[in-house]
Amino acid sequence: MSARIEAQGVSKRFGSVVALDEFSLDVAPGEIFGLIGPNGAGKTTFIRILTGYWLATEGDVRVDGVSVTRERFRVQARLGYACEQPKLYADHTVDQFLRFMGEVRGLGGTRLRQAVGLSVERMGLESVRKRRIGVLSKGFRQRVALAQALLHDPALLVVDEPTVGLDPAQQIELRRIIAGFRGTHTVLLCTHQLHEAESICDRVALLDRGKLAALATADEIRQGGSLEALFLARVGRAPEVAVSK
Amino acid sequence: MIHRVLALARKELRQLFASPIAYVVGTAYVALTGIYFFQHLVSYNQLLFVYQSEGLTGGGFDQGTVPSQINVLNEVFVPAADDFGLFLLVVLPLVTMRVFAEERANGTDELLLTSGLRPWEIALAKHGVTYLFVLGLLAASAIYPAVVVARAGLGFEHLFALYVGQLCYGCAIASIGLACSSFTSSQIVAAVLGYSIPFVLLDFAWLTNTVSEEVAGRLKEIALLSHYGSFPRGVIELAEVTYFAGIAFLGWLASLTSLELGRAR
Repeated sequence: MSARIEAQGVSKRFGSVVALDEFSLDVAPGEIFGLIGPNGAGKTTFIRILTGYWLATEGDVRVDGVSVTRERFRVQARLGYACEQPKLYADHTVDQFLRFMGEVRGLGGTRLRQAVGLSVERMGLESVRKRRIGVLSKGFRQRVALAQALLHDPALLVVDEPTVGLDPAQQIELRRIIAGFRGTHTVLLCTHQLHEAESICDRVALLDRGKLAALATADEIRQGGSLEALFLARVGRAPEVAVSK
Repeated sequence: MIHRVLALARKELRQLFASPIAYVVGTAYVALTGIYFFQHLVSYNQLLFVYQSEGLTGGGFDQGTVPSQINVLNEVFVPAADDFGLFLLVVLPLVTMRVFAEERANGTDELLLTSGLRPWEIALAKHGVTYLFVLGLLAASAIYPAVVVARAGLGFEHLFALYVGQLCYGCAIASIGLACSSFTSSQIVAAVLGYSIPFVLLDFAWLTNTVSEEVAGRLKEIALLSHYGSFPRGVIELAEVTYFAGIAFLGWLASLTSLELGRAR
């Protein structure tokens, strides 16, 4: 079960600041699609519009043909979202939090128990299931964020900066988990880590100053050298500048 | 729909009682109301003693009689209602300031608003749980006065109506506080607004000398205290209940509007 994303001329303005400028995109079902770009390029803005958290100033995003502007709740029912710097309830245990999010997603009874169990197993959270989220390491909190996004088995998984602040082992593990969704779920991965996008994404869109600067498949990136080379060519500055946050 | 609201309400309750503020506020309110109710009872008993005392013939009182204005209503329930109302005004913004502002400050509002929850469901659950807290607070504080009144065998209808009034008044104040909390990510700003607005709405008597009689009349109609006075007299009027319910509804509507406006920022 996977979903198609179609964005048509999406713009977002905050007063005189243009965060996203007529951005268009088409993500195929089952694809792992990367959104990269320097800070302030408009990646998170696009994700917030896609998830229905913000309204686009112009344009629209459709998920399987459903407009997020007009029917955001139908779109939200089809997507799971793990936002940047996981925003979770620190005073809940992992179990309480996942049960709460499952109930909010309309699950109950046996289905809820199964969904929580499956998410816990998928994300390797068994050992911390009864622990408070506030005392967990950043790596585990990221996993909890992903676990809640997967509870209702969404067709589309939106993940914003999942590996920021994680140690290398945790980064590798999380990338392995995300790559595992290829073909079964559509994944929109927003990241600063160029090697991460290069290693797990089928296609990558490079955003700069709210505009689409480049769109390339994994093969095209390999033929052109690396994603870093593409980044330098299109954005004109070193990606390290973008990585430092 | 109800399933989601209940799930969110349980989460709100868990968070409310995970912080010390609910316990501090609850203890302070129950202690203050108990002490002040006791004080009013003591004063009333002293007055009765003075008036009924045999040895006061030279004091201008008729021996053994108590003037009609010295009664349990005027000496206990009316002043208790004023005190209890003021205490609610002091403690409730401390509870409401957190409810929406904390979600905004921690970014968890993004989690809720992208999970398929409708903004009206979020506003309903948060307002509902806060009203439930007000009910619990009042129930705890009613134990002592109820025992006293039951033992004395008088004034039960006054006490019941007083607490119905307190519930209406408390929910209205809480609703204003929640609306304030929904428009900011700062709990301090939410608390300041949660105190300021009810204080302004409390009574416009200070304005009556500077405005026309007609305006003063209109202001009196919207003042919180004007609608609170009948309850301790043992009267529950539909108009007064409707007034407080209207304020609570407006507060909920303001919270809902704030959540919707956040999308269009």
